Amino acid sequence: MRITHILLAALAGLSLAAGASEPPAAAPAAPAAAAAPAAPAKMLSSTADHSKFKELQQSFKSGPEVTKACLSCHTEAAKQIHKTKHWTWEWVNPENNQKLGKKNVINNFCTATASNEKFCSSCHVGYGMENAKTFDYTSETNVDCLVCHDTTGAYKKLPGLAGHPTYKDIEFPPGSGKIAKAVDLPKIAQAVGKTSRDTCGACHFFGGGGDAVKHGDLDSSLKKPAKYLDVHMDAKGLNFSCATCHATQGHNIPGSRYTPTGKAEDAAHMRGKENKGNPASCQSCHGSAPHKAKERLNSHTDKIACQTCHVPQFARAQPTKMTWDWSTAGKLTPDGKRMKIPDASGHHDKYDSIKGNFTYESDVVPEYAWLNGKVKYTLLGDPVNTQGVTKINEYGGSPTDGQSRIWPLKVFRGKQPYDLETKSLLVPHTAVGYGEKDDSGFWANYKWDAALKAGAAAAGQPFSGKFDFVSTEMSWPITHMVAPKADALTCTQCHAKNGRLASIKGVYMPRRDANGMLDIIGWLLAAATLAGVLIHGGLRTYLGRKG
Amino acid sequence: MLKIVGSFVLGIVFTGVLGWNMMGGMMFHEHLSPFGVEETVARIQHNIEAAGNGWSLSGLRNPAAAVKADGGNALPVMMVEACSTKYSGPILNEDSVRFLSILMPCKISVYKKNDGKTYIGAMNAGLLGPMFGPLVGDIMSKVAADQAKFIIMDPSKPTPQIIYPKAAGGGGGGGGGGSGC
Amino acid sequence: MSAHAMQKLYVFKIFERIWHWSQAGLIIFLLITGFEVHGSYANFGFEKAVNYHTIAAWSLVGLWVFAIFWHFTTGEWKQYIPTLAKVDAMAKYYLFGIFVNAPHPFRLTTLKKHNPLQRLAYLGVMLFIGPLIWFTGWFYIFFDKWHAWGWDKYLSLEWVAFFHTIAAFMMLLFLIAHVYLTTTGHTPLAHIKAMITGWEEVEAEEKK
Repeated sequence: MRITHILLAALAGLSLAAGASEPPAAAPAAPAAAAAPAAPAKMLSSTADHSKFKELQQSFKSGPEVTKACLSCHTEAAKQIHKTKHWTWEWVNPENNQKLGKKNVINNFCTATASNEKFCSSCHVGYGMENAKTFDYTSETNVDCLVCHDTTGAYKKLPGLAGHPTYKDIEFPPGSGKIAKAVDLPKIAQAVGKTSRDTCGACHFFGGGGDAVKHGDLDSSLKKPAKYLDVHMDAKGLNFSCATCHATQGHNIPGSRYTPTGKAEDAAHMRGKENKGNPASCQSCHGSAPHKAKERLNSHTDKIACQTCHVPQFARAQPTKMTWDWSTAGKLTPDGKRMKIPDASGHHDKYDSIKGNFTYESDVVPEYAWLNGKVKYTLLGDPVNTQGVTKINEYGGSPTDGQSRIWPLKVFRGKQPYDLETKSLLVPHTAVGYGEKDDSGFWANYKWDAALKAGAAAAGQPFSGKFDFVSTEMSWPITHMVAPKADALTCTQCHAKNGRLASIKGVYMPRRDANGMLDIIGWLLAAATLAGVLIHGGLRTYLGRKG
Repeated sequence: MLKIVGSFVLGIVFTGVLGWNMMGGMMFHEHLSPFGVEETVARIQHNIEAAGNGWSLSGLRNPAAAVKADGGNALPVMMVEACSTKYSGPILNEDSVRFLSILMPCKISVYKKNDGKTYIGAMNAGLLGPMFGPLVGDIMSKVAADQAKFIIMDPSKPTPQIIYPKAAGGGGGGGGGGSGC
Repeated sequence: MSAHAMQKLYVFKIFERIWHWSQAGLIIFLLITGFEVHGSYANFGFEKAVNYHTIAAWSLVGLWVFAIFWHFTTGEWKQYIPTLAKVDAMAKYYLFGIFVNAPHPFRLTTLKKHNPLQRLAYLGVMLFIGPLIWFTGWFYIFFDKWHAWGWDKYLSLEWVAFFHTIAAFMMLLFLIAHVYLTTTGHTPLAHIKAMITGWEEVEAEEKK
């Protein structure tokens, strides 16, 4: 009885796997095969079972040892990785020659990586980046294959270990009494596979220092999202992985915020036909006339990004951080301890001594702007606007350049340190490497002077010793968490006097815009005509009766 | 004569139409909150707890969660439910107006609109009450006075925390239950 | 008035009557939906108003295509040839004469069924308001094609909407005046009845 069951399950698994093994577009079917009940062995859509490779049947002591084994077959993998932003943390924008990448940019969350690499590089696809300036970017064995290709969910790179997972049991966070177990490298290495929402999300869901903090449209709720949250990733439906849209070749992942596509080309991409367009755009599958039942909507696609209507709100499963004021950081309890004050929901802090004040918000109504894909950053050394708000990044776009569409944005506002003399943003040295004693780290001693001095030194920028806090603003185009079509914005959410696009210039929108003068004159004339004929008629009746 | 009657009828019809159109707006009122949905809810809850007159929280509903559970999306809505037996008792003891129990417990709704702002919606108890006789009218005018206190948003007070009902229901209609009535 | 002998004259042919009334219905419906789209009030809801407005507009276009064909094949277009003769007399009549039961300065015949003021007004509607509203309306409908057709260099939706609205207001003014003037026959409903039955009652020519 039981044997027949197992056989049947295995057969079912086989047929599913066979169906899934051919075209890459069938990838979403693979997890379904994996989920087949009680299949005795995991059926792979791949033709290789890594657990059978001798190269991986070793007692690996470190990450680089695993990488060495990977590279013995995948000879070009590390070389491909070496060319990506994930590895170099640097990218030069060809539009304006700005040097971007994690190594160079500064944001208004945890600000910047310089001096904090041991902590930040837990999200570097490499091992041992203790200092982004001196790291050996030519090392092949320091490429971390597992962080993206783990399928077990057990591979974890803890902050403070300079991009290494933990190889022995350690107390983490230090002083918490909790133990982080050593990762089982052989087991993880033998189970490698395609990237998944879990592997991409291990970093991208937690950007900015925690779950859902940074993006608003990327957080851990996308590991297994319900349909309302994301029609494409719906775990019980289409079940897309990140790479279904971010279709990758040679490890170079398309669809970056440094080069967003403001106005994707009009036609859907066709298989086999070479296409240099961004595959991570709605249009690459849907084209630009996707509305079948309500065709009038197609007349909007030239000016309005799909996301504007189809991501009606972001942070719909859990709140995202909306503001961060560093200027209040460092307040301690009377006995000199770090304190946290919860917000009204009780689920998040509104104050933390190491970071300052925040606000969180869920179901956020985006702000909207014309975007053409060009972006300019305020980098270290660039002057800040001490009178108003400094834009950390500024997206180009206009109603008339023919390259822009109206996009939804998360605008993240904060206050962060800058140098009163150089008028440049400053990098605070915040985090300290695991187990290190480092008095200049702000999160260890709450002293701005020491933290900013150490940060400036590591970033190679001058520091006058005088600093203050400046208001900053950073924009994040919203593109993930596409809602079911029934939840798209309705007409009158924009076609209204104070609708969502009230601040958008350069388009005439019926019901939002009208020439007020014309309306006044028009209605006055209509009223005068009506009054005229009524008087005329009255006179006629009156005089007629008399006559 | 016909004309006089005619214009009289016309006037009545006009007033009636006007009244019918305004009635909806008069029976409920809406205020802009300076805080987000959660903080507004928390402040209303704490105002209710501090109001005296027998008021206690009797539930916190989240209808938007039910919409999400069914695969749709809705902007946040949270309904704070409060009850005072001091006011509900006399109404529940009078057969002719017992049907008004459908208005119990007293609800205040906190919701976000498409402008991203948070609003507070409540029933206009002071106007509705007198429609059901002097007993209800008298009680409802007191309820209205208390209700006005519930929605005072005083930024000088520190952020309180939402009081979640003890027996919170699952993802569905949200938790009812709790203390009070 | 009734003292004069009346004679019946068949002036409005069946097509003309159908054309008139369906056009009247469509124009009123277009005004109602159009001003909702414009933002003057809410009635059907924006989305429905837009859809209804578009459907009604195309229907009116179709009707006009038939009407133009009919006018030219039957020669009825000549009814609209403008004339300034007696225009002053007509104006004077509406301003003064009508109040004192002065005789109408115009005598209607099947060959001349519109008085000179009517001719001017209808010609204005058909040659000015009509084309203005049509062309701006078409530009509006095909807004999304502007870029592909290269029109976006020359057109701005704001101005298209502006002139479309002007034309709509003119149509509204025409409608008010036109409806009122139909009541100025020998009885208030005489002209309206004629437009339904086709038969206009005119004063019989006494001397012949």
